[in-house]
Amino acid sequence: MGKSYSSKWIIQRITALLLVPLTFWFIFHSISFQHANYFEILLFFDSYINSFLFLIMMIAMLVHAKLGCETIVEDYVSSINLNKSIKSLINLITLFMIIISIIAIIKITIF
Amino acid sequence: MLDKRPLSPHLSIHKKVLTAVFSIFHRFTGLGLSIGAILISLWISILALGPQYFFIFEYIATSIIFKIILFLWTLGLFYHLFNGIRYLFWSYGIGMDLKTVYSSGYLVIILTLLTTIVVWVV
Repeated sequence: MGKSYSSKWIIQRITALLLVPLTFWFIFHSISFQHANYFEILLFFDSYINSFLFLIMMIAMLVHAKLGCETIVEDYVSSINLNKSIKSLINLITLFMIIISIIAIIKITIF
Repeated sequence: MLDKRPLSPHLSIHKKVLTAVFSIFHRFTGLGLSIGAILISLWISILALGPQYFFIFEYIATSIIFKIILFLWTLGLFYHLFNGIRYLFWSYGIGMDLKTVYSSGYLVIILTLLTTIVVWVV
């Protein structure tokens, strides 16, 4: 907690702005992933630019999802205890997914 | 009351006007895409683990259920993307007159269907 609602509102919009071009970029590449094997997909992450953009997309996506889900919980879960527990769970899942994504991308790109 | 943030109107007591339906759908697709974001994190992780693990994903990817989910994912993603762009304009107070709100809403539906068809057919 501690973050004000206006700063959350701004972060939600900043991540949205980042995600607009990045989503189009990723969908464009995922189409070729459909028929690609393991090594052909790895080739995509050989490029530092691709890996960097993918990393930015993942973090922006997970933060954007976290803020969106939190807002839904705040609007429709009226029980204070349940409200707080779900938000803690969302926080935990977001943090975990960001960490494993960063480790995975670094491992794929560098090693 | 948990805090001071103004809450969204309660779904059951309002007449379903088009703008409300768009908003509900935005949240509904957003919720689904959040699960999708988790799945992409798992996909990149299984890719990092190596080919001996990645074949699990390749096996799942051949199923028809996976294809159906992927199709709905595309549809939901494009809807959320285009409607999200519409909401970003609203954040700057652009396009908020009733006529533009409706016409941009129809444009979102058209673009969603068109791009989904392009991705899956072309």
